[in-house]
Amino acid sequence: MTDGKERISTTYHLRYKKGDQIFKQNDFGISIYKIVSGKVLIFRECEDVDVPIAILGKGSIIGEMIFFLKATEVRSASARALEDSEIEASHPMELLKEYEVSAPILKLMARQALNRLTRMNRFIDRLIVDEQAKAENFKRNLSLWKSNRRFYRKKVELECTYTSKTRLTGSNATLKGKIINISMTGLGLDIDPRNESVIPHEIGEVFQLETVLPNAKELKLICALVRASKGRGYISLGMTYLELSDETRKILGFFLLPA
Amino acid sequence: MPIDPVVYEYISSEVECPANQVIIEEGSKGDWVYLVLEGQVKVKKRTPKGLIVIDTLSEGDIFGEIAFLEGEYADRSATVMAAEGSVRLGILDKELLIKHYSVMSPTLRAIIKSLAIKVRETTTRICAALVAAN
Repeated sequence: MTDGKERISTTYHLRYKKGDQIFKQNDFGISIYKIVSGKVLIFRECEDVDVPIAILGKGSIIGEMIFFLKATEVRSASARALEDSEIEASHPMELLKEYEVSAPILKLMARQALNRLTRMNRFIDRLIVDEQAKAENFKRNLSLWKSNRRFYRKKVELECTYTSKTRLTGSNATLKGKIINISMTGLGLDIDPRNESVIPHEIGEVFQLETVLPNAKELKLICALVRASKGRGYISLGMTYLELSDETRKILGFFLLPA
Repeated sequence: MPIDPVVYEYISSEVECPANQVIIEEGSKGDWVYLVLEGQVKVKKRTPKGLIVIDTLSEGDIFGEIAFLEGEYADRSATVMAAEGSVRLGILDKELLIKHYSVMSPTLRAIIKSLAIKVRETTTRICAALVAAN
């Protein structure tokens, strides 16, 4: 950033290079900025996430929220130049004096608008941080699922029964199949092609599956169908568990321990 | 929120609205400013998924001020409806408000206008984020 030399009373002309920080969230400061040229990103830094608020251009005023708070609080957002920008910065001492003696009703309206804006900004922070957390959780679960699948899948031959749990298309029929591999996150199942004519076996269908492990422990699993492929005389299904109780997790975990 | 005493001298008339009556319609023109004297109003925004409630205002809250502060015949930024039960509103004296607003320096008016614009834009962003999240 290079400061301009022009100074008119309490107004300064400043030049910022692309990427320069104009002001930072949580800093004290009372200056108000007007964009003369260029583009500025306003963003909030919330739990390590930059939440963009607005991209402003020529003529826009930034940093005015602190004016209404009379600098008693810190800045609620940061501003960064998105391109080389020229900014007019004013120290609003005279304006503050004028504001103090202006009609109380207008100050009340401004205060309410400010409160509403602050509340909404916090709400947006929450929404974006939650969305980010959801996306990260999904990634983590996916990689966990992949690593679990790689390390713990066990080949088995277990007779099982299953019923449809999908609300709309579900039938009460109990069908038979053979579990050919099982892990902490899902299982592979071969079924007779005729089962398809009894209940739908479409991706996303939910089933309750029951089997008995070689150690005589019973397993009840709620699974979603994630893969189906036809072999000669059988259909191979891939299921992923939708929920595992602590007890089931314990039984399965013990069964999957390396011999 | 209790009614700020400074508002009383600006109330030019009072109006009673039955439940669900639309008081302000998003996109329409108008710069009347209202004060909730009794009851509640819902602030709603149009979205591709229908109207969604973005705020509920009660006694002492002012609404309609965004279009007024922005000036230049700005569109109403949201729909405001009477909530369950009736609501009693004070309509603020527009002439008096304009008189006070117009004696402010252009710079001070520009700062207040900027705040009003941000409220409008942030409201729109909230709606977009809510629609995307659902």
